[in-house]
Amino acid sequence: MSNSLSIAQPRKRALLWLWPLMWGTLLLLSVVAMSAAEPLFRWIEPDARQVIYDRADFYVLLGRHLLVVGIAALVTVVVGVSAGIVVTRERGSDFLPLVGQLASLGQTFPPVAVLALAVPVLGFGTLPIIVALMLYGMLPIVRNTLAGLQEVDIDIKTAAHAMGMTPTQTLRYVELPLAAPVILAGIRTSVTINIATAALGATVGASNLGDPIISGIVNGNMAYVVQGALTIALLALTVDSLFEVLQQPLRSRLSAA
Amino acid sequence: MIELSHVSKRFGEETAVDDISLRVPKGKFCALVGTSGCGKSTTLRMINRLIEHSEGDIILDGQAIEVYDPVKLRRRIGYVIQHTGLFPHWNVARNIGLVPRLLKWSAADVQGRVEELMDLLGLPVGEFAHKYPHQLSGGQAQRVGVARALAADPDILLMDEPFGALDPITREKLQDELAKIQARLHKTVVFVTHDMDEALKLADHLVVMREGRIVQQGSPLALLQQPADSFVESLLGGLERGLKQAALTRVKDHMTSMGPTLPAQSRIPADFSLRQALSMMLRDHSDRLTVVDQHDVPIGELSLRRIIKEAQLDKGSARE
Repeated sequence: MSNSLSIAQPRKRALLWLWPLMWGTLLLLSVVAMSAAEPLFRWIEPDARQVIYDRADFYVLLGRHLLVVGIAALVTVVVGVSAGIVVTRERGSDFLPLVGQLASLGQTFPPVAVLALAVPVLGFGTLPIIVALMLYGMLPIVRNTLAGLQEVDIDIKTAAHAMGMTPTQTLRYVELPLAAPVILAGIRTSVTINIATAALGATVGASNLGDPIISGIVNGNMAYVVQGALTIALLALTVDSLFEVLQQPLRSRLSAA
Repeated sequence: MIELSHVSKRFGEETAVDDISLRVPKGKFCALVGTSGCGKSTTLRMINRLIEHSEGDIILDGQAIEVYDPVKLRRRIGYVIQHTGLFPHWNVARNIGLVPRLLKWSAADVQGRVEELMDLLGLPVGEFAHKYPHQLSGGQAQRVGVARALAADPDILLMDEPFGALDPITREKLQDELAKIQARLHKTVVFVTHDMDEALKLADHLVVMREGRIVQQGSPLALLQQPADSFVESLLGGLERGLKQAALTRVKDHMTSMGPTLPAQSRIPADFSLRQALSMMLRDHSDRLTVVDQHDVPIGELSLRRIIKEAQLDKGSARE
């Protein structure tokens, strides 16, 4: 039995990498060789003077897109996970409802509205979109951190305490590792949503993969819209499948526990 | 040694433990018995300061427990709970080695100790060391739980209904093994259970609790001979009490050395319980048994009439 497991495991892991590799290759193709698909886009927009978006290279747009989503994700993860940890400690428990509500509020507020409010304060450019993404992506992370930490079996926490683990040791060696799959799922949702939402940045002058879409809408060129949307979709699929690779070993280790 | 004097615990208005006093001498096995919500688990948790007591003194090895640093205190007290509380993301060896690692033992020492304990609890190292808790049966998981509690060789062992979630056969097996381990290691044990048979079987000292108070405490035999009230009596099994008492008595304490009488048909080893002897008499339609030693050599005789007569004497002496 253990023998068959040890053979099956690496094969399954290799299979797991198949999806990110596939989506990643397609993404790479779309940013370096979009023009190769010119006949297809010509078919979509037969009358347009130009069918391939060329005001900026796609890989530059991709880089900026990733940068905006990455910075927002980094801040959101640090703030969201820390907030989740603090309010699940005995001392911070008074703030548990407040933090939950604040995070929900962030997601109820449409990113477009955040942009509209942020531009007068922060000016045009990448900063407003980063703020909007942070607010929008906070909820899944906070919610999943809270759920993950609260779901840790009380018997396990009692045992950790009773064996003489300090609260910090309990958090680090028991609670966080056990909550990790749920927290990671929250980060995955947050990042995937924000990859799509970041396109809105193009409306406030943050140049990214949203540019071809906005430009296509403004100029009535559907081919541009499709190019931007396609690249964003491939990016989202690549990142999402990478998260799947990360999550799988965590899940299988804890299965049936 | 653990000593509780006039200890109470209040949660807001509610009194969970009300003015209890008890003493567990070093190396003795004390069982706290009672129905759910009687305060027995709370009492146990006050000893390792998982719960701080409101009033009274808890003395451990001559010092009030408030003097100890709670984290250090817990590292020298073994603790076993009903649902094991094993860490699901750690394998068996790592779970068992937890407290030694917290105490910063060297890796080699930890490994040696883990293997020693797995051996003691009948868990073959090669088969179990790398298994995860979800791959274990209930009985195996609780063996790991007990091993983890014993890992740093604590003097004191606290057990909170450790076998409560196991099937009867596994439970009995683990009880027998715990008794054997205790006979070897002589830990000071406080054991919480609602199962009176378990308590009678394992404990040197029995404490019956109800609504946060101690109703009666004493040796199992003393309680069986003279329950303080109808509550204790019902916990002790009402009419079954006679047989439970017989289960705690050895055949050799009631036999007469071989006289001129004819040897009886049925033979019973001297270290069997009187309960087993009575059962054998019923089964074999006989009021006499031949008592044999471990080599099956007859050494005495047990008669029903004598058992009954001596039981009356015991009752008389307990009243005095």
